[in-house]
Parts: sequence; C-alpha cells; structure tokens
Amino acid sequence: MLLELKNVTIPTFDQKCVIVNNVSFGVKEGSIHAIIGPNGSGKSTLAYTIMGLSTYKISQGQIIFDGREINNLGITERARLGITLAWQEPARIEGLSVSKYISLGIKDKANLKEKITDSLNIVNLEPEKYLNRYIDETLSGGERKRIELAATVAMKPRLIILDEPDSGLDVIITEDFMNIFEKIKKLNMTILLITHREEIGMVADYGTLLWRGDVILTDEFPKVMLRYCAKAGLKEWCKRTLFKNEAACFDDDYIDRIFREEESS
Amino acid sequence: MTNGDYPNDILQSLEDYNINIRDFLPGHGKGAKLLLNFNKISGIEQVDGIILKGREIPNGIVADIVIKEGTKHEEPVHLCFGVNKETGIQEIFPRIIAEDNTEVKIQAHCSFPNANGLIHKMFGHFYIGKNCNFTYSETHYHGENSGALVAPVAYMYVGENSVFENNFTLTRGTPGKVKILIDIYALDNSVIRSNVKAYGKNKNDSIRIRDSVFLEGEYARSVIKLKAAAKDGGEVLMYGVTEGNAPHCNGHVECSEIVLGKGSICRARPFIRAIDPRSSISHEASLGRFPQKWLDELMARGLSEVEATDILIEAMLQEDTKL
Repeated sequence: MLLELKNVTIPTFDQKCVIVNNVSFGVKEGSIHAIIGPNGSGKSTLAYTIMGLSTYKISQGQIIFDGREINNLGITERARLGITLAWQEPARIEGLSVSKYISLGIKDKANLKEKITDSLNIVNLEPEKYLNRYIDETLSGGERKRIELAATVAMKPRLIILDEPDSGLDVIITEDFMNIFEKIKKLNMTILLITHREEIGMVADYGTLLWRGDVILTDEFPKVMLRYCAKAGLKEWCKRTLFKNEAACFDDDYIDRIFREEESS
Repeated sequence: MTNGDYPNDILQSLEDYNINIRDFLPGHGKGAKLLLNFNKISGIEQVDGIILKGREIPNGIVADIVIKEGTKHEEPVHLCFGVNKETGIQEIFPRIIAEDNTEVKIQAHCSFPNANGLIHKMFGHFYIGKNCNFTYSETHYHGENSGALVAPVAYMYVGENSVFENNFTLTRGTPGKVKILIDIYALDNSVIRSNVKAYGKNKNDSIRIRDSVFLEGEYARSVIKLKAAAKDGGEVLMYGVTEGNAPHCNGHVECSEIVLGKGSICRARPFIRAIDPRSSISHEASLGRFPQKWLDELMARGLSEVEATDILIEAMLQEDTKL
C-alpha cells in the first residue's frame, strides 16, 4: 500500500466533536481510489488531514505513507515526500502567472518550459494560450481547475489527492476530466479521488464509502458504489442508470440482495 | 549615443527590469527619450508629435514634454532620471502636456543604484486634454542600502472623456525614506486608474504615499489600488483618497498590505468623501498576512511557508504595468 490509514480519528478544531471516526483503509500504488459519501461525511476533512493542513489534526491513529508514519509531518514535508492536493476551489492569485504557478512544484528546473507545456497538454489546455495568463478571475472555473491539475501533475508526485475535482463543472467537462485522470494514472501516479458524484467515481479502481464519519466499505469501486446507492435508497436509479452499461455491472437480483441487506442492517 | 556615454550601473539596474537598454539610448529604438545623469542632461530625442525640452538648473532640470494634438504612438516615451552617486540632490520639475485626442505612454525610471544619503525630489504637473488615452508609469530603484530620500509630488489634471493610468512601482532594492504625493483631478466622463506598489524591506525603509483622486466632473470614474508589503522592520503608510464632487461620479479605493517580521508596520488609510448624493464612492482595505489557504496551496507544492510568502508578495507586487 502506498498510503494507509489505521484507526484514524479526526476531531473538529475545538476538539468538541468527531468528524471522522476510527477509519482504516489503504490505497494501492498506481491505482485510482475514490472516497465517496454524501455531503458532510468527512471526505474533504480526510483529504486535508492526509495532506497535513495545520488546522486538521488527528486525535488517534496513524497515517502511513510508503511505510513511514507521517502523523507529525507538516504540509511542506509531506509534499516533499510526494503527496500533493488539488483543491476543490483553488485560489485565484492576481499577479501569479500560470507558468510560474505550475513551475513552483517542479524540483528539477532543467527544461522548465517544456515540463510546464507538457503538464498543460495533459489537462487539455493549449500552452500558448495559457502560459502568460494569470491565475486570477479571468480564468473560468473549469480552466482554473485544469491548471490546478497541471500544477499537481508537473510535480510528479506519488500521490495526488483530488478534492471534488468535478464540483461546479458541467457534464461534458466532467467527462473530459475523467479522461485526464486516466492519463495521470498512466504516468504512474496514484490518485485519491474525493467525490460525491457517482459518474466521476466510475474511473476508480477501488473505493471507500464514508458515511457520517465512518468507513462503511472499502472494496472494488463498483461494489462500493452499489453499497452507497443502497444506503441512500436509490434502487431504481441504480438499476436504470448507474450499472447499465458498465462492464462490471451487477444483475438485478444481486442489486436487490444488497439493498435488502442494507435495509435489514 | 552609446552605452559608454551613460553610467553602466544605472543601465544595469534598468536591465534588471527587463528593459532593452539598446533601444533605450538616444539614436536607438523608436521612442522619444530624455536621459538625465544626476543633474546633467545626457541625451534628448524627439519623435513626430512629441516635443521634449530640458533646461539644467543648479540641482536638476526643468523639463517640458508636449504631446501634440492627435499624436498616437505605440512606442513609449522613456524618461530616465539616473544617479550613480551616493549623495547629492537631484530636483526635477517636469511639465507634461498631452493635447486633445492623443494616445501616449510615458515610462519613467528613477534609478539610484548606489544611493547613500542621496535626495531626489520631483515637482510635476500633468495636463491631459480631452479624449486622450494616457499612461504614466514610474519605476524606482534605490539600490540596496536604504540610502535615498525620495519625495516626488505630482499634480495631474485629466480632461473630458480621457483615460489616464498612473503606475508607481517601488518594489526592488530597498526604498529608504520615501514620501510621495499624487493628486489627480478628473473632469467629465474621464476614467482614472492609479496603481501604487511599494515594498519596505528593513528598518531603514519608511514609505509614505498619498494617492488622491478628485472626481470633479460628471460621470468621472476612478479606481485607486495601493499594494504594499513591509518586512523586517520596514514601515509603509498609504493614504488612498477619493472625493466625489460631481453628479454620477464613481470611485473606489483598495488598499492591500502585508506585514512580515517583527517591528514591521503597515498602515492603510482609505479616505473617501462624497458631496453629491448621486455619486458613489467606496473603499476596501486589508492588512496583515496572506490567507492561510493560499499558503497551504503553495506549500502543497513543496514550498516552505517563507518561500510561499515570498511568491505571494512577488505576485501581489507584480509589475503588471510594464509597457
């Protein structure tokens, strides 16, 4: 496992409530691993905690990256180990150019322009149109998110945490993003994908269902998605839409069984 | 005129600002230019429609720059007020007149790379006619010793339907003691954009800037943007003044200042006044540090907090006003 969480509990900043409760799961190197769950289930909290943001501290458990416990490392040290995060709402910073922003995480500055250009190509942005622009309000939401992805890819990290990369994007762009995730995976980077949208999670190999701060299931993604639908009571939608054309689809009897199990539990 | 006719350290400091010094000297490039070496005029070059005249006085020069009616030039007019001495007094009295229907940019460089007690004063008057598009950008470099005392004063009058952009940048090297006063008077339907950026880097740096726009004409509009950073004991005080003195005028003042290190002080004082009920004047000010989320985003790329802060300061003070 590239990343392992063992019995991790994350309280609120004032320590009065628990957001994520005693969760354990692992992320295999080279995979896309989705964390799914409804709003408020603690997905982003988990992402920020793995990244090491100072306002997110675990009260118990271990976060292990490449066999090393990283509980006490700050955000910079974790980034230097090969972890990075693409934010749900990345900042817009007037005066910071796209090329400078992408270059920040590139350690080896040789052939810098070529590396920046390559990363923009991966996220399907034409370099000549973006290199000299600024990451300010003139970029659309979709453009800003692509540049965020380009900046993470340019780092050549071992683990990219994508926090709701699909939020605020329309269906066509979402489809394009799923293709980009596949491209990133082929570059031997591991993706931890935080999402609450089932269709974007379908690119994932594995998944973890987070529900009100608890891990319900970690397994191959379709099985996790089915359990999510069962908990949310979306049986007909699940049969008609979600697994309709998927290779790993389940027949109706199997779906009915999972839903019955969930109702009885 | 060749490079050898002008102090190399001044030219070098300009090159650091990505200025092509080959085109900067008289006899090269297309734009009009006036070069001053301390209190001596080193070179003047005029172009069609732009008159440049200078007269030396005991501690500096009196200069007239006249843009003739209808003149439009892409190439900026370069003014260089350079001093490579450590001490002395340089006084500049420029009078800039842009006649009606002109479109011109002026780029002024005040470069004092070895200043250590040097005094630079300017007392300028700008008269911008009707239907003009006029940009004045002034970039300062005071060396690394915090040894200059710089006190420019400028009164600017902007005519009907004209667009005027004023840019003042003091972000490289260490500023020393700086007192700047800019008053801009905006007539009917004119548009004013004034951008001031300064960076005080140590306890010898004290920067005080008052940038004022008086909206005197109907439908005149203005935006003042003051951006500053102070670190390691530096001090920056910025006044952004806007008065709405005419119907339907609209003005905004924005002050952003970042404070770093013990003993540093940033003060921002937006001062707004409206005397016509149909006018609209607003302000916003922020002081302190950068949002933690911005720092986190850059630190997630492997930067330390100090490195991330430096990048954000550089971005905030980015010279987006280059000609």
